[in-house]
This record gives sequence, C-alpha cells and structure tokens, in this order.
Amino acid sequence: MRSGGKKPVRRGASQRAVGWRRFKRNKTGLAGLGIIAFFTLLAVYGLFLDPVPGRSYACLSTGCSNLPPFADWNHPLGTETSGIDVWHEIIHGSAGDLYVGFGATLIAVVIGLAIGALAGYRTGFSGAVLLGFTQLFFVLPVLVLILLFSKILLTFVARGLGLTLIVLILGLFGWPFIAFIARGEILRIRELEFVQASRALGASNFRILFRHIVPNLLSSIIVVASLAVAGNIVTEVVISYLGFGDANTSTWGLIIQEGANYANTSWWIAFFPGIAVVLCVLGFNLLGDGLSDALNPRLRE
Amino acid sequence: MGSLVNYVLRRVLFAIPVFLAVSILTFFATNGVANPYDIVRFGIHNPSAAQLDALKAYFHYDDPVYVRYFLWLSQFLQGDMGKSLYTGTVASNILPWIATTLELQVPALLLSLAIGIPIGVYSAKHQYSKTDLGVSTAAIFGYSTPTFWLGIIAIIIFSADLHWLPSAGAVSGYPPYWWGNIYLDSLAHAILPLSVLTFVSLATIVRLVRANMLDILRQDFVLAARASGLSEWTVTYKHALKNAITPIVTVVGLGFGVLLAGAPALETTFSWPGLGYEYVLAVGKLDLPLVQGLTMIIAVMVLGANVFTDLAYALLDPRVRLG
Repeated sequence: MRSGGKKPVRRGASQRAVGWRRFKRNKTGLAGLGIIAFFTLLAVYGLFLDPVPGRSYACLSTGCSNLPPFADWNHPLGTETSGIDVWHEIIHGSAGDLYVGFGATLIAVVIGLAIGALAGYRTGFSGAVLLGFTQLFFVLPVLVLILLFSKILLTFVARGLGLTLIVLILGLFGWPFIAFIARGEILRIRELEFVQASRALGASNFRILFRHIVPNLLSSIIVVASLAVAGNIVTEVVISYLGFGDANTSTWGLIIQEGANYANTSWWIAFFPGIAVVLCVLGFNLLGDGLSDALNPRLRE
Repeated sequence: MGSLVNYVLRRVLFAIPVFLAVSILTFFATNGVANPYDIVRFGIHNPSAAQLDALKAYFHYDDPVYVRYFLWLSQFLQGDMGKSLYTGTVASNILPWIATTLELQVPALLLSLAIGIPIGVYSAKHQYSKTDLGVSTAAIFGYSTPTFWLGIIAIIIFSADLHWLPSAGAVSGYPPYWWGNIYLDSLAHAILPLSVLTFVSLATIVRLVRANMLDILRQDFVLAARASGLSEWTVTYKHALKNAITPIVTVVGLGFGVLLAGAPALETTFSWPGLGYEYVLAVGKLDLPLVQGLTMIIAVMVLGANVFTDLAYALLDPRVRLG
C-alpha cells in the first residue's frame, strides 16, 4: 500500500516515475526547479551570448558610471562609480556561483558516497576507521578553515586557478555530511527484506550493492545534494564578500562587497545581487524540500 | 550512570584527534606556503644582518616545517600563543574579542529560541492554516538569506537613509554618544546586528521545531496522551514538545559552536570587534601568528560546544548513551 490509497500507482511504475509524479504535485518544489532553470539560462546567456564581458569598466569612458536603477534601459539595475553594470554582474555572477555550487557539491557527493558506502558496507575495523575520519572532518570549524585556505592558496600558490580553487576547497571540506547520510542509508537498506531476498537468490555482492542498494540510496543523496548546492553558493558569496576569493571573476559576493562600500550613496549595488543570491539559494532549498517530500514517504501526509 | 560517564569520556577523548587535525591544518595552511619571517622581513627598511639573524632565530627559519609545527604546538599547549606580527601578544589580542562576540551571539541565540519555539509549535499545531503558510514562507526566505546581506540592507535603511542607528562598531569611541550616554550608546550599536542575527537564526529554529513537532504529533504516544483525557496544552507542551526538542539541542549546540566563531561575514558588515571580524582582518593582513592562535581558539570553542551538546543530548535522551 505504498501509494497511500487515493491514487493507485500503475503496475510497473518505476520508483523514479512514482517520485516524479509526487514531485510534480508539489508546487513549491516546482517553483524551486523553475528558479534554478532561470538562473541556469542566465548563466548560459552570460557565458556564450552576452556581448558585455564580466567586470567591464567600459562605462568609465562612455560616461554611464554611477547610474541609479531603472534610469537607463541599457543599464536596468544601475551602475557603479567604477562603471561596472549591476545587471551584467548578476548575469555573469550566476555562471560563477552556479559553477561553485554544482562543482563543489559534485566533488563532495563523490567523496562522501565512496567513503560513506565503504563505511556502511564494511562493518569491521576499516569501517570504524572511516567513520571516525568522517566524524573528525564533520566537527572541524569549516568556515574558518575555508577562508584561511582560499586566502593563503590564492595569494601564494594558485592565483590562476580562481574559482576552481574555491570549488576544490569547498568540495574537500563538504563531504562528511553526505558520507553520514550514505552510511546510514546503507546500514538501513542492507537489512531490508528485498536485499535478503536477492541474497537468498544468489545475487553477487556487486549486484546487490549497485543494482539494489545504491539506487535506493540516491533519493536521499539527491535531497542532501540539492541543499548542499544552496549551502555552497552561500559560502562562496561569503568568501568573495570578505575579499578572500577570486577578484577577477564576476561573482555575486564580489559585487555585494563593492556595494557595501557604497551603502551610504548607491543602495542598488548591494541590493540587487543580494536578491539574486536569496532567490537562487531559495530555489535550491525549495527543490530540496520538494524532493524530500516526494522521495521520503515517511514524511508524507 | 556508568554508561553516561563512559559516553562523555568517549566524546571528550574524541576531541583530541580533532584538535590535532585542526592544529595540523592550521599550521600547514599558514606556514606551509609562507614563513612569518618572509612577511616581517619585507616590512623592515634596510635591515642589518644582525637583525635578520635575530628574526631568523625567532621564527626558527632554518628548521623544517614539521619541527616548527611541534615547537608551536608545545608552546600553544603551555598557553603561549606567541606575538602578533603587528602589536601585542596573540593572547592579549584575542581575549577582548571573545567577550564582544559573546555579547552579540548569546542574546541572539536566546532571543531566537524564545521567539522561535512558540512560533514553530503554533505553526505545526495549525498545519496548512494561513498563519502556518505565512510562517513557513517567511522561514524559508529567512533561511535562504545570507545574514551579512540582510545586515547591509539594514544599514542602508536604518543607518544611511533614516539615520536612526549607528552602522559600525560596538560602541562610540568618544562623545557625542548615541542616545545620551555610553550604555545606551552600546545598546544602539547592538540593535541592528542583533536583530539581523536573531531573524536569521529564528528562521532555522522555526523550520526545525515545526518539522519535528509535525513528526511527533503524529505518533502513537500523543494519541494515547489525548485519549487519556489530558488537555491539549499538556499534550502539546509537556509530551510532544519535550520529544521534539531533543534534535533541536544538537542543531543549536552545533550552531552555537559556529556562532562562537563570530559569524565572520556579519561581524565584518557591522565592523563589530569580535572574533569573526578580527579573524577576517588578521587573515587579510597575513598576521600569521594571530591567525594560528585565532583558528585554534575558535576550534577549541567549537569542540567544547560539541562536547556540551553531546552531554545535553545524552541527558535528554537515554538511548544515545548506549549507541
């Protein structure tokens, strides 16, 4: 009775199809997906189509610096004293911030899944060591270390890496939570009847792990990953806001930092990019909540 | 009781490898790529050979990095964090900042708990009502808003535009004071950062309390309590909330560890002289000994908060001790 009475699920509908149908009923989840699609389009436009490059000071020579918003439709959200156009920074910033959000999460998921799956599947000494390692990374004061690493490495070692360095740092510090989820789920799933049944039918360890356990694990990972993208974007915004990031690539945090310096005179510089951050992060949080409602039957009404 | 002592002991012992890991990461992040000597040397105009030798000896320039690590760690464990590259010892720099950070973070945490728990419970009790919808919407917006950006907006509105409140620092250095005297002056300085911080933590707490209460209110023991004729108030606040609050202890405890770090971005926005802002300044200036000391102090505070959280959790939920 997993469909819950009212709408019987078609025979043979896959878990994924059932989940998608449930997700489609969730309006806020769909809104989140819409917001993410919007920012993805913006990022693609910024990367391939936008004639104005990021961090362009062209306005200094053509006299369109320090414009308020909605005054000139070539610069709908206003410009800075240094000539940088706020709307174009938002466009180019979405490319940068989505890159960090998705890239860092991807690294964290790969490391977290590998370590979590091993820690869950091997119950002996090696499992305990991996679990301890995960716990150790989990309680580190991560933000402080991330700030330190990005400043020091960008200053002395890897200036040219830019945002990719931020992606690596966030990914390398971000996996423990995903490892916990993966381990917990594997410990739960491997004791379920259908796994015992396939074991009784003589399925190999490999087949059990990848045909039966991992597909059931992915739904919880995808929920956590969606929330992790939101968290990584916020952290990236904080890093560049504090001036510890890559000062040559457009990111939302960078333009907010510049806006904070002009808070007394030009409110629009910090205001609009911040709205972009809130919307984008909201999109991923809504998607995560929606997916969690759709894929986690226990919490459903 | 034996199991509780055992459990706490295990958690305290676990803090030791974490402490060492933080010390290694911190030291190699700061000293693996740059030696403080290199930074100081360029700050001296026409140094003499004797000066340079003294500096080299002071920073153990010729020793390999792992030797310097052990020297630094043994000094740190003896309570000596060294000197800042700018002024004073590391310890004399850090101490006053701890107090200013707590001045901001503790009231914000208490306020957001005091306001957030009742709102979360009410929202869960009236699921899908208009109030619940409003609360949930506000909470997810608050949850998605970077604290420091909200701080900038607050400064733009209340400080730059309306001139109601000061925008920077914890207190005016000299008269004229806001609102007449120095006590009201520090209150005026705290209002904006405190409100912003409370609002954002509030969102997290409301979401958590609401979700946990929804889960608990559906369980059989709540039904049993209702069936035995207890008032709705007793069922909600004595039976359900008690069970819903346990996971919140973890989140608040872990969050408090982060709060102790001073929320670097928010403190920077308000130039609030706490651990977070000073950390950002120290990293920016590459004041390596100060950065090392600050990171370690923050790590110790976070670990301490974690141990206390575990202890509180074990006291509230006996099942934890056995796990």
